[in-house]
Amino acid sequence: MQFLSVENLHLSFRSPNGKSQPVVQVPTFSMEHNQQLAIKGPSGSGKTTFLHMLAGVLTPDSGQVRIDGQSLGAMNESDRDQLRSGMIGYIFQSFNLLNGFSCIENLLLAMSLNGASNLDRARSLLDKVGLIDREDHLPGQLSIGQQQRVAIARALINRPKLVLADEPTGNLDPTNTDRSLELLRSLCKEWGSALILVSHDPRVIGKFEHQVDWEELNQINGSKEVEVGKQ
Amino acid sequence: MGLKRWRLENSKGSMAAISVSLKLARRALRQNLLSTLVAVFTVSLSGGLFLGAWKTKQSVKLAFAHSAGGFDAVLGARGSQLQLVLNALFHLENSPGNLDWEQYETIRSHPGVSEAYPFALGDNYLGYRLVGTMPELFLNHQWKSGTNYQVRSPGRIFSESAKEALVGAEVARELGLQLGDRFHPYHGLEYNPDRKHNDIYLVVGILEPTGTPTDQVIWIPLRGVQTMEGHDPEEANSISGVLLNLKGSSGLALDVKYNKQGDRATLAWPVPAILSSFFNRFAWLERSVAALALLMALVGGLIILATLRSTMHERRREFAVLRCMGASRAVVTGSILWQSILLSAFGALGSWIIYFLLSMAVSSLIHLQIGVGMNLPMLDGMALLTGGGILMLGLVSAWFPARKLYRSSLQESLNPHG
Repeated sequence: MQFLSVENLHLSFRSPNGKSQPVVQVPTFSMEHNQQLAIKGPSGSGKTTFLHMLAGVLTPDSGQVRIDGQSLGAMNESDRDQLRSGMIGYIFQSFNLLNGFSCIENLLLAMSLNGASNLDRARSLLDKVGLIDREDHLPGQLSIGQQQRVAIARALINRPKLVLADEPTGNLDPTNTDRSLELLRSLCKEWGSALILVSHDPRVIGKFEHQVDWEELNQINGSKEVEVGKQ
Repeated sequence: MGLKRWRLENSKGSMAAISVSLKLARRALRQNLLSTLVAVFTVSLSGGLFLGAWKTKQSVKLAFAHSAGGFDAVLGARGSQLQLVLNALFHLENSPGNLDWEQYETIRSHPGVSEAYPFALGDNYLGYRLVGTMPELFLNHQWKSGTNYQVRSPGRIFSESAKEALVGAEVARELGLQLGDRFHPYHGLEYNPDRKHNDIYLVVGILEPTGTPTDQVIWIPLRGVQTMEGHDPEEANSISGVLLNLKGSSGLALDVKYNKQGDRATLAWPVPAILSSFFNRFAWLERSVAALALLMALVGGLIILATLRSTMHERRREFAVLRCMGASRAVVTGSILWQSILLSAFGALGSWIIYFLLSMAVSSLIHLQIGVGMNLPMLDGMALLTGGGILMLGLVSAWFPARKLYRSSLQESLNPHG
């Protein structure tokens, strides 16, 4: 059984002139456990919306998302919250660390939302991302690269089965991009987490074995089916 | 930072949600410290003023009632009953006039009168009134149920025929008067250095404090005031009034006799009712302060609302991120409610502190001016009710932003068109 599968996923937004504007139209999409996949596509084309639907943040107009055998559409909001806190790790382009909380507290908070926090585990992960000596620093006291490493650690602290990374390197310089990407991919591999990364940067996409072109996957104007495969 | 303060370990389910909400709320308050302090201060001030106005009114009424010196009535010259009570029992205002000695003897022998002590006013020492009366007042009268006046050892009560003084505790403290000190009284109820009498009085006793206007007076023999050098010799047999305790319902008969049928004297009776009429004169002030306090409570509520709305705007992204991390609507909405509860709780605490300080200040002022002692402010039912009211105000203020937050979708906050 596929770890993640999408069928006939459709979402439209109401445009300012009142017309319905289709944003996402994905006939089929699937991926295996532990798979690492990059979705490439230009900014503003609906990739983030797609990730939000995979995470259960947005509800599609129609279609189905199944994660690890569970259909998001059949869940109530509370169940989806629970699924997100335990099974999905989310990484944002702008990191979105909680500013009033130190590095370690950002991790502990994510653990708390999943039910219980564990200081030793949080420290251990901070150590893995090379920031144990910054555990009490606030996000504003860290460099951009360090902030993204904390964000990666936060997304992975609950050992999620699926990590969704939305342009995670968009604000990083090449050195930090390589470092963060390497860290993210190795941790996902080590912990058996599937990874979907969306980016418009060919350099980032090029590092992934499995790649999907968003403009082919999202068939707003067509009916092609796209399967994930080796590039 | 707060590793030691992190208390979420091993908390699960709804407890974890509550803990996370509380933690988020505390951080939000700390991050917006200035607006938090302004909101807490405003709420504290409005609660403190409201409570202060309410409780001070009650305490002052009670204190005045307890400070009447254990007398039911005052007989004095024809005039205002209130002026008579304030002058005789609280040593305020001027005497409305004099009574003949015969009038004292008449009322003393009335079967409905259990105690009658004549008193005479007209002099002061450095602004503190000299009151002439009989030593029996200090020997027999209970100024409070079961309590007689106590003279500080080794002092004694003045002799009826000597130029001796028994000094109230507050006067002795303020002027530093001690046993064996001598002083010249001054004519009139206000201190005027040009109006010094030649008589010299010897301090023979100092009264233990009572927390009543008695503490603010220098007591001398009645004859002393009546025959003071410089006073009109024709007035030597007159008195300012008579302090009375009555038996049973004799007050009604005496009221008819003096106030309705007679035209030479006024019986101020019953003292508590006359004091109530005095406080009723200030009802407008009480209402004004209450209206001001309610207005401030409204401002306090609006400030909490504005603080929360401003915080919500700043934290919009944070809430969205938390939702992406798996926080339920209840957790993020709960953090707004907690924020309001904490603001209100600090406001309630602050209002109690302000009430306490305000009460202490009013109490000191009243005690200093007229010697009436007030009880220390306490966290009684009204104070707790006010605290509860502030919490309710906070919750009501938080309701609208919390409701809006609860209903808002992540789509609005996360800019999903990316």
